[in-house]
Amino acid sequence: MGGPDTTGAWHADGALLAAYDDQRLDAAARWSVEAHLTSCAACRFQAGALVDPARLERVRAALIDAVDQPRAGVAERLLVRLGVADHTARLLAATPALRGSWLLAVAAALGFAVAAGWTRSGQDANLVFLCVAPLLPLAGIAVAYGPGIDPTYEIGLAAPLGSFRLLLLRAAAVLGTATLLAAVASLALPQLGPGAAGWLLPSLGLTACSLALATTVEPLRAIGITAGAWILAVVVTVMPPAPSSVLFAVAGQVGFVALALLGAGVLLVRRGRFESDRGFDTTPRFAARRLR
Amino acid sequence: MTPPAPTVRVRDLGITLGRTRALDGVTLDLVPGVTGLLGPNGAGKTTLLRVLATVSAPDSGSVHALGLDPRRTDQRLDLRGRLGYMPQEPGFHARFTVFEFVDYVAILKELHQRRARHQEVRRVLELVGLDAVRGKQIKALSGGMRRRVALAQALLGDPDLLVLDEPTAGLDPEQRLRFRELVSRLGEGRTVLLSTHQTEDVVALAQQVLVLHLGRLRFAGTPLELAGLARGHVWHSQERDPGALAAWRTGTGQHRNIGDPPAGAELLEPTLEDGYLLLLGGDQVEEAAA
Repeated sequence: MGGPDTTGAWHADGALLAAYDDQRLDAAARWSVEAHLTSCAACRFQAGALVDPARLERVRAALIDAVDQPRAGVAERLLVRLGVADHTARLLAATPALRGSWLLAVAAALGFAVAAGWTRSGQDANLVFLCVAPLLPLAGIAVAYGPGIDPTYEIGLAAPLGSFRLLLLRAAAVLGTATLLAAVASLALPQLGPGAAGWLLPSLGLTACSLALATTVEPLRAIGITAGAWILAVVVTVMPPAPSSVLFAVAGQVGFVALALLGAGVLLVRRGRFESDRGFDTTPRFAARRLR
Repeated sequence: MTPPAPTVRVRDLGITLGRTRALDGVTLDLVPGVTGLLGPNGAGKTTLLRVLATVSAPDSGSVHALGLDPRRTDQRLDLRGRLGYMPQEPGFHARFTVFEFVDYVAILKELHQRRARHQEVRRVLELVGLDAVRGKQIKALSGGMRRRVALAQALLGDPDLLVLDEPTAGLDPEQRLRFRELVSRLGEGRTVLLSTHQTEDVVALAQQVLVLHLGRLRFAGTPLELAGLARGHVWHSQERDPGALAAWRTGTGQHRNIGDPPAGAELLEPTLEDGYLLLLGGDQVEEAAA
């Protein structure tokens, strides 16, 4: 195995290094050789000659790759754990609406809406929550994609992934996350029951409607119009003098299913509209994000 | 020698943005090598580059690039896989490092296999000389370095067609020199179209030059041919010649005049810039001489 040289210093001999290279040593002997190699240039040189250059190159490449590996945030790690491909998780993680700070803001908004319900009494105790929850995925999609919003929008348009696919990916992730948070929050509503899920179909309907509208106008404007229409509908139907919960009753819910289907259909037919800038200003609007 | 076959054919291209006819009846061919696109602000340069990069869809006319028609979805996606585009004002995700940003664009370019993708990212960063700063956040880089990051992402996948919108804007002389070396290497065997306000870039790099003005193609030819337009229209004089379209005092103390020279004027060998200014007429000459 190993032995001292003429100066009395201990060195690993060829047989030991060959066994180490072939991975035939037990753990204790391997650690011992490695500890020695880190401090002995002569043995490192001898060991280096034994190692297959191709294997060295593979190890080196893996090492550099590990150093360069982009840092994954909580959302990205979670997505990968859930089985999402790492490149897809990266695309989603660049969405502001999936960052911790945004999710915290959504959770806070839902929390306030729930709390507002507990200060009310009677049949409309859930009303604030039902009105607020459908707006949250819209707000998330507004900051997730679009000319002037996504800093790499223009580069993305010239890339083969396709803008429509990116939009769908991000919209689905934002809608899914907002829906999950709203579903959890709705468990704390003062009036549990089927009525507590009255926000779900408006959420789907408004999201599909805003995406369909984005095939005609700028995405941010489409979301603004949809959110405005929802707020107007809420004000008209829910507020005094003649408060009504028609939006969340069966008729209203059927309407939102129809809206969701119609929106999805329009989106599908007109998806090609997302494949060019359509003359919109693509300059990133947030100064800090501009690359000049 | 037969001229190389065009890799990009543009026919009667037209596009209206708002109330402006940004491109009007533009017809041109691009061949392998570097082509410089010149034109004043608002000439339609960026619009033309966006159309070629499949970012903007024209209202009329046609584009065929690398034998592909971007109006057809499948061919458009194929083309996007073979082109590199550097926008005039590229944005970046504020938190990304140089490596993360280029890696993100590589994902948009559908380089899915992680190890191979990272290798490609390192390759392009090395090409533009940013390998050593790949772990730095982009917001910490100088303007010149950021331009190089933007160029690096355009080089991902070794594209056959490179569309670069004002790549030398904001670069200092040394960075510009490095950039010229790089683009001149890239122009060997692939088609590079770059827009610029710097006629020196065109002289240094381009085998072909295009001049756009008010959405129309005003010139297509070699840099020598563009300079040749001003032959017999550039002359020296001790004082500013009042008949000149424009005149300015040079380092020798004499005036360089462009326009129709008086009889007996001492004519000078024209430069590409002279040809460009003469082509665009008085307004541009005044602007350049100012």
